[in-house]
Amino acid sequence: METTQISTLTGVLDKKMTRQLKQYLDICARCSICKDACHQYVATQDIKYLPAYRADLIRKVYKKYFTKAGEFVPALYEGRDPDDNLLDQLYESTYACTGCRRCMYYCPFSIDTTWILSVAKAMLIAAGRGNEMLGQLADAAIFKGDNFEMFRDVLMDGMHDIEKEVQDLMDDPTATIPVDKQDADILYVALAGAHTIRPAAIIFNQAKANWTISLFEAANYGFFFGDMDKARQIADRFMDEAIRLNVKEVVITECGHAYRVAETFHEAWTRKKHPFKVRHILEVMDEYIKDGRITVDPKAFTVPVTYHDPCQVGRNGGIFEQPRDIVKAIAPDFRDLTPNREKQWCCGGGGGLVAISEMDDMRIKSGKIKAEQIRVTGAKIIATPCENCRLQIEALNESENLGIEIKSIMDMVVEAMPLKGRPSASTAAE
Amino acid sequence: METYLYITSVIGVYIGFAVFIGGMGWRIYQWASTPKSPVRLGMFPKPKTGTGRFFKMLKDTFIAPHSAQIAPVMWTFAFIFHFAALAVVIGHLHIVMEYPFLPELLGPAGMESLATIAGGIAGVLMLVGILFWIGRRTFGAYKNLSVPEDYLLLALLLGIVLMGDHMRFVGNLEPDTYRVWFNSILAFRPLIPAEMIGSNTGLSLGTHMLFTDLFLIYFPFSKMVHMFGAFSANLVRSE
Repeated sequence: METTQISTLTGVLDKKMTRQLKQYLDICARCSICKDACHQYVATQDIKYLPAYRADLIRKVYKKYFTKAGEFVPALYEGRDPDDNLLDQLYESTYACTGCRRCMYYCPFSIDTTWILSVAKAMLIAAGRGNEMLGQLADAAIFKGDNFEMFRDVLMDGMHDIEKEVQDLMDDPTATIPVDKQDADILYVALAGAHTIRPAAIIFNQAKANWTISLFEAANYGFFFGDMDKARQIADRFMDEAIRLNVKEVVITECGHAYRVAETFHEAWTRKKHPFKVRHILEVMDEYIKDGRITVDPKAFTVPVTYHDPCQVGRNGGIFEQPRDIVKAIAPDFRDLTPNREKQWCCGGGGGLVAISEMDDMRIKSGKIKAEQIRVTGAKIIATPCENCRLQIEALNESENLGIEIKSIMDMVVEAMPLKGRPSASTAAE
Repeated sequence: METYLYITSVIGVYIGFAVFIGGMGWRIYQWASTPKSPVRLGMFPKPKTGTGRFFKMLKDTFIAPHSAQIAPVMWTFAFIFHFAALAVVIGHLHIVMEYPFLPELLGPAGMESLATIAGGIAGVLMLVGILFWIGRRTFGAYKNLSVPEDYLLLALLLGIVLMGDHMRFVGNLEPDTYRVWFNSILAFRPLIPAEMIGSNTGLSLGTHMLFTDLFLIYFPFSKMVHMFGAFSANLVRSE
């Protein structure tokens, strides 16, 4: 094992050292109370998924290279070099983590395993062993930002097509999807794909909001990849736009990690306070319904409906009640999953895992807990405001024969809106 | 016996406390001087005010209600162990000075039975906790997670508690004798009372102190620092 690799990787650890990280590495008692909190460990009983074990891989390097006692008697802590063997283990334990932070919720010291693993990802990337797919997706997003003129016309064409659909559905030729609108109140940041643009456009137009849309998507594979510089560059694309357009707030579409990147991480990465608010589209829709800015049919969905809290929206984002209020406003038979809110189980699809095909089997296996939870509610529709959760629950729907429909909250709201241009004007699906 | 007691119960005590205080001071300095992450690592729901956060931190640290929900057995043993340990620390203050009020309230016989009952129960509960953890780490899924540090600490604690329990249940020394010895150490004029050397407790005290000295020396370099670090880590939870 090369000494340069050791010094490079311990250098990364040194650079990433923060007070929280140091404390976490010093105080974990390996009590393993976290073991029953992790859906992956519970489903597989494989120690590499036990949160304290994942963190201990980094801790072994920390002990050997960053503490006197560990330098002196590494065996006492099983101190290790960041060699290829450790990196192999680290890769599996780290990129498998969905970042749900359920282990942190139950830890007696509130140790944030995901935070420790973010350092593990930085070390893997420095060793050239970051996950390839996530890295490529991140680079593609940065490329789009750097060479935007190449993409602009295609994106604008797509936006006009969606605008036409919206006008037809609303039977309103004045409905617009404004791009680059100076001094708009809201800059809406969607995902790539019309499914996150169309319903939002209908809602904003109906509410007569002064809004504009970003041509950049909110999804951030740099964040999942674990390269925070790339993650910042990807978020900068629309954050800079928000500053340029002088908007009052940035509204993030139904996505978990994108909301957290925009709301929590971006200010910390840039060390600058945003001159605008960041809100989730759930908060905006809830406000529109409660203020009567959009009208919805309270009986739009008569079948039982349940709601899954995406980890980054709920436990890590603090949005628990708004989506429930929205669903209850359009579906009289609302049934919560058990457990829910901050104690909810991760569906298994977070952390970019749906893009890592080599982990597919484990991902599906780890989702069985969620599948059972869904099954016992007897719900026919599950609403969830996160693309990764939806993809994972779609997969579980198939593998576990749940017979359930998976919907975004936006889609449900639009279905519950009496739109003039809709073929059967009154309402929605059953 | 006198040499053994001099090494473990005089010199060892000085070294143990010096390393513990110096080492812990150094550890806390290291924590404090490492820049905090600008990223807020809190999770929801969280209190809105500083006072709310502070009280939540105390509750999370002393009661760990979330851990109780997910691992009730482990939590029960841990809770019992930690509170027995706290009781034992308070009980040991008796060798520094006589308690206020209590002797007048209970009388000499009352004091004796309080010490026997409370001290005895606490000593046994600590032992039960340690044996549970040793078993858990040796036979459970935690075996592969455990490192030598975990066993070393449990071995040291086992030694301390076994010897302490021996003094409590078998020993025949009066509190006054311990107080003379311990106060002489505090006054930096160490002496070992003759009753101690001649009693059936000398060896167990010496060994109790040997394990205690080693425990104190190792404390700042081990995961035991959770005793201090748990507070700020739990505060981060609601930032």
